[in-house]
Amino acid sequence: MIALIADSGITLWFDRVGPLHGWAIATAVAVSACCAVVGTLLVVRRMSLLGDAISHAVLPGLVVAVLLGAQPGGVGVLLGATVAAMSTIWFTRFLFRHAGLWEDASVGVAFTTLFAAGVLLITVSGSRVDLDPGCVLYGILELVPFDTVSLYGWDIPRAFVSALSVLVLVILGVWCTWRWQVFTAFDTDAAKAAGIPVGGVTFGLLVGVSLATVTGFVAVGAILVVAMLVVPAAAAERLVHRLHHAIWLAVLLAAVGAVGGYLLAWRFSTSAAGMMAVVLGIEYFVAILFAPDDGVAARLVSKVVYLWRVRCEDRLASLWRAEESKQLVQEGGFAGLVTSWLCVSGQLRKEKNIFVLTPRGRMDAELIVRSHRLWETWLGKHVDLPVDHLHPPAEWIEHHLGEQVRKRIEDELGNKDIDPHGSMIPREKR
Amino acid sequence: MIHMTVLAAFIPYNTLVVAAGVAAVGCAAGVIGTFGVLRKRALVGDAAAHATLVGVASALLLTGQRDLAVLLVGGLISAMVAIALLVLIRKFTRTRDDAAIAIVLSVSFGIGITLISGMVSRGIPGSGGLERFLLGHTASLTAHDATLLGAVSAISVLCVVVGLKEATMVAFDPDFATAAGWPAATIDFVLVALVAVMVVVGLPAAGAVLVTALVVIPPAVARQWTERIVPMLVIAGVVGLISALSGVMISSLAVQLPTGPIVVLVATSFLIFSVFLAPCRGIVWRTRSTCVFPSDSYDENNTETTADTVTERKS
Repeated sequence: MIALIADSGITLWFDRVGPLHGWAIATAVAVSACCAVVGTLLVVRRMSLLGDAISHAVLPGLVVAVLLGAQPGGVGVLLGATVAAMSTIWFTRFLFRHAGLWEDASVGVAFTTLFAAGVLLITVSGSRVDLDPGCVLYGILELVPFDTVSLYGWDIPRAFVSALSVLVLVILGVWCTWRWQVFTAFDTDAAKAAGIPVGGVTFGLLVGVSLATVTGFVAVGAILVVAMLVVPAAAAERLVHRLHHAIWLAVLLAAVGAVGGYLLAWRFSTSAAGMMAVVLGIEYFVAILFAPDDGVAARLVSKVVYLWRVRCEDRLASLWRAEESKQLVQEGGFAGLVTSWLCVSGQLRKEKNIFVLTPRGRMDAELIVRSHRLWETWLGKHVDLPVDHLHPPAEWIEHHLGEQVRKRIEDELGNKDIDPHGSMIPREKR
Repeated sequence: MIHMTVLAAFIPYNTLVVAAGVAAVGCAAGVIGTFGVLRKRALVGDAAAHATLVGVASALLLTGQRDLAVLLVGGLISAMVAIALLVLIRKFTRTRDDAAIAIVLSVSFGIGITLISGMVSRGIPGSGGLERFLLGHTASLTAHDATLLGAVSAISVLCVVVGLKEATMVAFDPDFATAAGWPAATIDFVLVALVAVMVVVGLPAAGAVLVTALVVIPPAVARQWTERIVPMLVIAGVVGLISALSGVMISSLAVQLPTGPIVVLVATSFLIFSVFLAPCRGIVWRTRSTCVFPSDSYDENNTETTADTVTERKS
């Protein structure tokens, strides 16, 4: 799928943006995919901040590896960065255990220190390291296509090769340890009890994170890697509920973010890495707004629908009660929004300026009044409340009682048909 | 290079004022950061710090002025917006807190980078200098800027000193403060706003990426040496002051040396030193002495004692 997206990105834009942009986009997609895969596991395990810390902390490892003579984008750099990432985690734990610091403060101390050390190393070593602080902060995606290696006669950017191999490695690793990862992610204690090497699983995940981070680092810089790790994962987690679906969706969102970000950045001539983070942020925003079950919009809609239903049912019930006591309904010609809707839905009918219940409306209204009065009777029997305190709770719960619950209450009350206020409890008519 | 340094040492006024201003920022950040850390807001400050870039860039874009005060006001607004977003995400979504912080931090930094590099590529005047807000560069500060930073820091510290009792109460036990009838939410908001102010005035000294260290590390050092809030504030202030000052001094030795990393590394070396050597708590002492320290439950104990003393004083 990733290859497909990368491929279509290249073919679509090849003519207009040329092969250099194509390679940059392909690299960005591969890097984002790596980050999304490990990021999803990181987010469900509530370790997002460790991702933040690692992404800052790989810098000194990278610089030291380059100073020791490793090739940028090669195995040595990956190794150096992984060691640095592990030392951040060790440093964080050390501060947490021995310095009596809270977890967030330990993370804050550890990553700022290592990042500062990295920046200082770069500045001090000057031209010996092929990195400048600017590139550390926002990557050099635009320059990726110029640093190529020759593979079978093709000139392929070094960053793309390393991103692709890390992607394969990460996917293989996650695939092989999938059950362990899921078990550990959702219940660490049970996993430990079941004999799963929890420490090893976590260690493997963190190695994966540092590999993904260091490849992402070259393309998009230290801080925007955090966006790639966490944002697509957090968005996907809102949209679907199975972990493997979330991973695939996160990869998809990350790829869309990479391609969209690059093209927008090219259009507005600005930083590609920054724009990718912006696109990912928009994706997350859309996800939390429109997530199908717990999105902000979905919850708002369901709340409005609920309030509307309550208004309609209250109106039906009040009409039914008026009919029961042979009163005329006060409001004459004026039809409110609720009343007009009830007319449209066929529960009310207008007769000579008066609204009357249709047979269907009467049946619905009876059910609501029945729920109400059953609940009042039940409360009167079991809860020591004065009679005039029975109405408010019943007024609320009448919208929530189903047929079976009504039946159970009725059985429990022994087929009483008069409520505490002396009104008749309507019978179920189906 | 060397004679440049010697020369710089003989331009007393500007250098002195800048050093004093940045030292004041470091001191104030340590004091206010203590409350931030106690309130477990270390990384909220980090998210706000990364978000300042958006405000700084937009301020330059909208007003066209390169005045530090204007840029910092922009930064403060965007930092507060970031904090508000964190609160909204916590309230309206099921995204966990840690992920929310990482999201706000990285996306707002992305927006900032996009704005800045877009402005640079369009050649908007003054946009090139914005990069010094990334890693901090005190060498480019003027005496006027430094006076501004110093004044804001002094006012912030004054706020904390005036409201010390209230701030302590809310930092240790917000529920108790609410129950005792104090406006805990308002005090809490003021504390968060002060952390945001510190993060913003710290920008020229440490840069958006590292300024959180100014707010986190000095309190962490102070935590090693004392169990009481007032000494902790003082120690954090002093450590912040020394770190910031050494940052200014060392970074003025070479032109391209950014201040932020040096400030952070000086502060961290204080921390490492303290973790090993602080009396009672220090690792060196703990392994060989019988000094009783309830290290496992210091949190709860501290809360209780402080709550008690504060209410005693109040009544």
